[in-house]
Amino acid sequence: MLYDLGRADLRIKWLVTCLLATLGISYVFGALMVSLYAGFTPGRVAATYAGRAMSMPMPPETTMVMEHPMSMEEFVKPEVHEVDTDLLVQDTHVHVPMYGVIAAALSLVVVGLSLSQGWALALITLLFAAPWLDFAGMWLTKFVSGRFATVTLIGGWAMGLGYLVVTALAIHQMWFRTRGVVR
Amino acid sequence: MNLLLRGALIAAVFHITPAVVLVKRPDAVQALLPGADAYLAREVHLSDPDAHRLHELVDWSPEDGVLTFYRGTASATAVGALMFVRVDTPHGPIEVAVGFTPQGAVRGVIVTKATVEMKPWVLEAVGAGLVERYHALKPGDMPAGAAALAGHLGNLAVYIAGEVDKGVARALAAYGTFYAVRNAGA
Repeated sequence: MLYDLGRADLRIKWLVTCLLATLGISYVFGALMVSLYAGFTPGRVAATYAGRAMSMPMPPETTMVMEHPMSMEEFVKPEVHEVDTDLLVQDTHVHVPMYGVIAAALSLVVVGLSLSQGWALALITLLFAAPWLDFAGMWLTKFVSGRFATVTLIGGWAMGLGYLVVTALAIHQMWFRTRGVVR
Repeated sequence: MNLLLRGALIAAVFHITPAVVLVKRPDAVQALLPGADAYLAREVHLSDPDAHRLHELVDWSPEDGVLTFYRGTASATAVGALMFVRVDTPHGPIEVAVGFTPQGAVRGVIVTKATVEMKPWVLEAVGAGLVERYHALKPGDMPAGAAALAGHLGNLAVYIAGEVDKGVARALAAYGTFYAVRNAGA
């Protein structure tokens, strides 16, 4: 095949390396952001996306007032970062196209690797399926069951795994594999 | 490739940055209900017609159809009430705390949350005296912080002032319609 990163021009190898490094930085900070605002456990993800929508009652026939005492400690309690439907629509609109661009960029790297067609197809599928699972999990958590928070976690970890596999293979084949490569 | 680059650019431009706490809620409560030693949460679960009425007034419906007011008392004497109002903007949400005196006038307004992106605009607007513009407003009055600051600040700070105006208008409408009427003398 003409497009082979292992035998590519030095400039192409450097470009791909810089792209992977940049994506790596964004993934690290993405993970930090998730830990700050949603968390890595099914319970915290469910609390973020299911919120009160899971138990939202029907509006009463007449306006009802309920009062209960509040202590200052209740104001102090850490608030769960909740993503309501409007915000999830906005997040999906903003993030899914970006995830598509990242998956496409990593897939272009995969196409240049010396891999069997089956492995390459599997990797490309993983790269695109991971964000689909991530956002499908968020929507299912909000409207079906909090148990689907696990789908979001699987999607998030799959994104990280896909990136690490592609990066490890690309760096190895571009910079460390010497057999069969004309330098 | 051109399409990919344009997609990346659009996503970057419209990316929502994370929320930041500008003032912690307990600090806002103490500032807006000074001296209070007891608090009562008053949750008003709106019926469909009442929710519609509020929407007609200020083009807003509270989350889950529930308005939450916090009433403060000091030795059983009313200090006032406050509410936290969220305003969604294309740059992410901001949260505004609006405190009322027992007579039903605005005692103070504090922007408690914004996003990383909006924080400097909020600080610029607040530093220029935005929240002082709301002092003593009563239900039925129109907040006009953005109009007062226009021409004196950058466009983005004035834009944020307009969003804070919306939050204050919502609080005034909610308080005037569903708190003061039902709980006069709070």
